[in-house]
Amino acid sequence: MAAKLLFPMKFRHPLTFLLLAAALAEHAGAQAVIEGRVELPKTHSAPVMIKRYEIVTKGGALAPNPPVAVVYLEGLFPQTSSLPVQQILQTNFAFVPALLAVQVGAKVEFPNLDNTFHNIFSFSPSKRFDLGRYRPDEKPVPSQVFDKPGLVTLRCDIHEHMRGLILVLDTPHFVISDTDGQFSLTNLPPGHYTLKAWISSKTTLEVPVELRTNTTLHVNIP
Amino acid sequence: MMVMVLLVSAITGLGLYLAQRNLAATVENHLQREFQSRLEALRGVQEVRDAALTEICRTLVRKPRIHAALEDNALDLLYPTAKDELRDVMSPGDPQSPKGALQGLFYRFLDHRGAVISPPGGPDAGELRAEEEAQLGLRGLPREQQLGYLLRKTGKAREEITEVIAMTIISTDTDGAIAALAIGFKPVELGGVPAEQGIRNGIWLNGRLHSPALAEPAQAVLGNEVTRALATADRAGGRIAIEVEGAPHLLFYRQINPDSLYPRAYGVSIFPLTDLLARQRQLRWRAFGASALMLFGGLAASQFFSRRLSMPVERLAVDSEENRLQRARAEAALELTNEGLQRAIRFSADASHQLKTPVTVLRAGLEELLTRENLAPEVRDEISELVHQTFRLASVIEDLLLLSRADAGRLQLNLSAVNLSQLIEAGLDDLGALPDAPILAVETNFPATLHIAGEKRYSAIIVQNLLENARKYNRPGGRIRVTAREEGRSVLLTVANTGRPIPTAVQEHIFERFHRGSVGENVPGHGLGLNLARELARLHGGDLRMVRSDAAWTEFEARFCVAAPTSIPASSIA
Repeated sequence: MAAKLLFPMKFRHPLTFLLLAAALAEHAGAQAVIEGRVELPKTHSAPVMIKRYEIVTKGGALAPNPPVAVVYLEGLFPQTSSLPVQQILQTNFAFVPALLAVQVGAKVEFPNLDNTFHNIFSFSPSKRFDLGRYRPDEKPVPSQVFDKPGLVTLRCDIHEHMRGLILVLDTPHFVISDTDGQFSLTNLPPGHYTLKAWISSKTTLEVPVELRTNTTLHVNIP
Repeated sequence: MMVMVLLVSAITGLGLYLAQRNLAATVENHLQREFQSRLEALRGVQEVRDAALTEICRTLVRKPRIHAALEDNALDLLYPTAKDELRDVMSPGDPQSPKGALQGLFYRFLDHRGAVISPPGGPDAGELRAEEEAQLGLRGLPREQQLGYLLRKTGKAREEITEVIAMTIISTDTDGAIAALAIGFKPVELGGVPAEQGIRNGIWLNGRLHSPALAEPAQAVLGNEVTRALATADRAGGRIAIEVEGAPHLLFYRQINPDSLYPRAYGVSIFPLTDLLARQRQLRWRAFGASALMLFGGLAASQFFSRRLSMPVERLAVDSEENRLQRARAEAALELTNEGLQRAIRFSADASHQLKTPVTVLRAGLEELLTRENLAPEVRDEISELVHQTFRLASVIEDLLLLSRADAGRLQLNLSAVNLSQLIEAGLDDLGALPDAPILAVETNFPATLHIAGEKRYSAIIVQNLLENARKYNRPGGRIRVTAREEGRSVLLTVANTGRPIPTAVQEHIFERFHRGSVGENVPGHGLGLNLARELARLHGGDLRMVRSDAAWTEFEARFCVAAPTSIPASSIA
């Protein structure tokens, strides 16, 4: 809620938000940075005017549209003591953001901004839950803690077209690329890791990386 | 008479027999239409229920939880979710509704290949034996819903047919068929709706008929009948006349799941014909009874009336025989008359020619005698009279010649403009010049010129005859009145004379040939004048008639046509 009050406008820009969140979560003294570009699948869909994603299926794989990638660094990192509470809104009969990346253990709230019932549920193996039906004024705001890594598909039992994705990651270092595939991960600890780029429910690309202190690594995936 | 009675009886009997047959056929048609309409009603109920079931299934296969279970790799949640989602369908439901028509008996999911996904166990999805469950499977998943029928055991020795609707689940993500939901319902044919009395419904499946209303052996026999009919006849549907439990029935069958991947099933309805036969038998007896009654009644009535009617008829027969004879006589007489007429015409033609010459010779001879000087005065008078008679004879012959020519149609007038006034004046002059002319006052009233369409010599005869008659039949010192005037397209000439009136009874005969008025027995004449004048007037396109004959005047009127102005010669007008 604090984030919402602090960054009311930026809240709708998950990329910025996530970068900020990552920066806040980062320990002082981390130096390495990865910059690069993920080669995203081509899309023929019309430009998205409100600059938000929706979830579409292509060949049975769920992916955001326009395509973006979740780039994250896989490895062993110290436990994060406190994670920020994040939100996925239900507004205009859609999940906003449609794609959310969170660290394992993060709590996500699902406020209903539509003037009708919604019923969010997930049958995904990494997190099964059913919030039941609730109205916009439901207090406290229904929420879930995502404690297992994996992809969670959000559905609404009342509005069958609604889809949302939460990518639960076992790492504090992740970022969502822009629609050109450009990304930048900062404050990374030096060491050998695997850099992964999640593109769809069926595609995750990876490259091994070696990070050194105070250096910026340029990686293009693939 | 007896033959007549037998003939009438036979015809009546035949007519009634045909009428009875016709009536029986009508009754049968009526009943068949009734069957058809009941079948249609049943079909209507089926369609409505199928539509309802389809809608229920369509709603179910769009449930996001079911989609989530299938698409989000949560098959373990499929049946538990379905238990919630299908609770309404599987519950016994509203006790007011037709018993269990829309109640699901079991449900199974089929995977994307069409194979059955077995439920985790427990009674929630409805009990099915393994082989029964296997029958729900399909070869692939078509987009259209599939209607099938499944025979399942419901007790130790009890089997029941279940209607199965398999609805494909289309992924909202991929738009592909990801699974199907098959739900079993109680078929409407087997008590889904109440059957009407006497009508038994069933379902034919895999060579067997299943109808709870029929005994096992009957089911087996009828099942075979339908199987045989399907092997030879129309596979969509038809009807067979059959015997059930010793009574005639009509069996209708119709495929109830066309275009389905499930085995073919036929809805079977069996209608008893006993009612129809009873009605026909009753009808036949009634018809025969009525016909016999009518026949005997008719015969008795005909006997009675024939006796009553025969006498006048016999009289009529005698009368008609007399009539016939009279008619024959009349025809013979007519024939004779006709012949006589023909003969008369021929005679007139021949005789006038043959007679003219002898009369001339006779007159010449008589005149020769008169020239002799040694004749006694009485002989001279006698001969003078004879000469006079020859004139009369010649005149008669002349008239006869003219008439015969008219009768033979050989007298045709060359019509031209004739000045009638001149003819009248000439006629009056001749009248005055006659030697024995009585003293008569002549009144005239006609214009100086009055042109008629005629031929002068014949027009003159008309005028002369009329004037001569007016003189002949006048009384001494009497009057003659001659008028002529134009009236429209006609010219009317009236010649009237004083004298004794013509009696009414005679008036109608005066224009007949050789008729002479009773008033004028002592008047010279031969009774051809008026007849000739009328014939000639008619040949002029006009007529001649008697206008009046009373104490004051006897008046004749001749009508002529006005001469066409172009045909009037210039000299005549002057």
